[in-house]
Amino acid sequence: MAANKQQGSSFGLFLTGLTAACAGVACFSSGIGKVILLLGIVLLLASLWQFFKTKPLEGKIALGSQPVSMKLAGILVTLLGWVVVLFGLHLTPSVGGRMVAAIVGLIISLVGVLVILPSACNKNAIWKA
Amino acid sequence: MKINRSKFLLYLVLALLIGTVAHADSTADLKAAAAKAPTTADLQQGDPGGSLTGTINDVPVSDSKAGLTLGDVANQVGQNKIGINFTWTLVCGFLVMFMQAGFAMVEAGLCRVKNANHTYMMNFTVYACGLFAYWLIGFAIQMGGSAGNGNLGGLQPLSGEHALSIFGKTWGIWGEKGLFLSGHTYDVGVMVIFLFQMVFMDTALTIVTGACAERWKFLTFCVSSVLMGAFTYPLFANWAWGGGWLAQLGTNVGLGKGYCDFAGSGVVHAVGGLTALAVALILGPRIGKFNRDGSGNPIIGHDISAVLIGCFILAFGWFGFNPGSTLGASAAGCLRIGSIAVNTMLAGCTGTFGAMLYMWIFKGKPDASMAGNGLLAGLVAITAPSGFVNTVGAAIIGFLAGGLVCLSVAFVESKLKVDDPVGAISVHGTCGLWGVLSVGLFADGKSNYGGSWNGVTGSVTGLFYGDASQLVAQLIGIATLVGFVFTFSFVLNWVLDIVLGQRVSAESEVAGLDLPEMGQLGYPEFVFRPEPEYLVAAEQVAIA
Repeated sequence: MAANKQQGSSFGLFLTGLTAACAGVACFSSGIGKVILLLGIVLLLASLWQFFKTKPLEGKIALGSQPVSMKLAGILVTLLGWVVVLFGLHLTPSVGGRMVAAIVGLIISLVGVLVILPSACNKNAIWKA
Repeated sequence: MKINRSKFLLYLVLALLIGTVAHADSTADLKAAAAKAPTTADLQQGDPGGSLTGTINDVPVSDSKAGLTLGDVANQVGQNKIGINFTWTLVCGFLVMFMQAGFAMVEAGLCRVKNANHTYMMNFTVYACGLFAYWLIGFAIQMGGSAGNGNLGGLQPLSGEHALSIFGKTWGIWGEKGLFLSGHTYDVGVMVIFLFQMVFMDTALTIVTGACAERWKFLTFCVSSVLMGAFTYPLFANWAWGGGWLAQLGTNVGLGKGYCDFAGSGVVHAVGGLTALAVALILGPRIGKFNRDGSGNPIIGHDISAVLIGCFILAFGWFGFNPGSTLGASAAGCLRIGSIAVNTMLAGCTGTFGAMLYMWIFKGKPDASMAGNGLLAGLVAITAPSGFVNTVGAAIIGFLAGGLVCLSVAFVESKLKVDDPVGAISVHGTCGLWGVLSVGLFADGKSNYGGSWNGVTGSVTGLFYGDASQLVAQLIGIATLVGFVFTFSFVLNWVLDIVLGQRVSAESEVAGLDLPEMGQLGYPEFVFRPEPEYLVAAEQVAIA
């Protein structure tokens, strides 16, 4: 399945829902604001449901399965590196100490981005078959 | 201390007399100047030399009975300053907007002819998707708490930053004012900063389309771009430019002048490049890009002339990107715009040399597409430091970026096995991060934008000029880009993959996306040349 009318209508619904949700946030202090926000969320969920319903019609894609656990591990390691950097800010007041913490954290994050996640995404790549 | 009352009274009387005389003198001067100004009859004769137009008679008078006063003149001077800055910022914003055309040409030119319409259309639609999302909520998240910019009149309506108190310090997290540009943000200064920041945001969004070209489902691209313009980009931009926690690293923990990113190597380019990497990982490579042994196949673009013209359009637009980031041309050190413009062109020049020489020396030919990418790499890298470095620093930063982009393109393809048809991950991601780092190394401490940066008195100074703490602030910015922005983008697009599906069907991909996704060929009168055998074989396997 390529682009079609259903996709167009669900994208229109998504934009309407997002607009309503943002309008609700903009005037959240008023009662009507909360109602509009709720309406926006409902419309967004409806659009997501429409997207999900039409997804199987796309047909076979040229992509192998990507293991969820490995992807999650990659995400966690990447995020962990950032947390180390933030923690390092408060660990020591010295410039040198903070620089070491920043570099260590960055290296941890890079392991997630450049090692674990590419391995996960390419584990069952179709070009390997 | 005992005060001598008679002396005090004497000084007071003298001061009043001097003040009255000075006031009378200046009022007399103004009247004399008005008397000498050309009359209506003079102006009716025409002013071919331009010496009669624009005189004291053009200064608006607030009280016609009192005539022109010093207050009127001072108000006009203030309005002139803001008017100059508004005009400068808007015109630079228009230049940046035109960069979309350059991106479209570069990306489409590097893709195959069967995907030309789809690639152009993504670059075209991203403007609408990003602008709409940014108007709804993105601008509020980014700039909603950024009041205080004197160049644009103070921007006082943008006074709502949501902050958290951690370890005894207050850290800005996101802005709250400016949704739909309504309420008090219906303001002339806010409109100017909205336009300028919006075109920057859109540049970041359009980077992703290049790395994901030839296989990205148009619907998912639209939704992903809307969400990036609404949340991903504005969040990091708030932290760096909207008064958020990265900008506060100087005031809160004494790290240099806080995270410094003059025009967006990190905020715009690294955010775009890292998001491109995240989506490209999820999407997987194009059919036929890699062989079973992991070696890569070249998939040649269809129009190198479009690529190189696109690069020039981008280089032209960059004169809006970097010098425009002073947000003014009058007062507060804004006259540095000349230096910033020269740094920009120099880094682009040395970036071209860096990439071209690398390819020529190590691969045997001065590859045109890599020379173009070298120009862009130099420009991307100088974007963050352009306001803080001298010309020698700019030339070095650009040259290293040119070599770096060649190494990075090879690394992304041969080691990561990520397919990036245009090299966007390397040009914008890798060189964007290099640009952020280079501020912490090369900033020469000579710039002075109103005496302080990010609320810290003094000029931005890097390691080579004596301030190691600035380098730490930059490293924290890089770690945030890699650790948070990449992760956020990856998770967001992974969810979209689950709900919508990121990739087109193998059948559509083989046919080319112009007809299945757009309903029209980019070049309907072209006769397509058969694809290389290795691609045809891979396509048959993928469809089967």
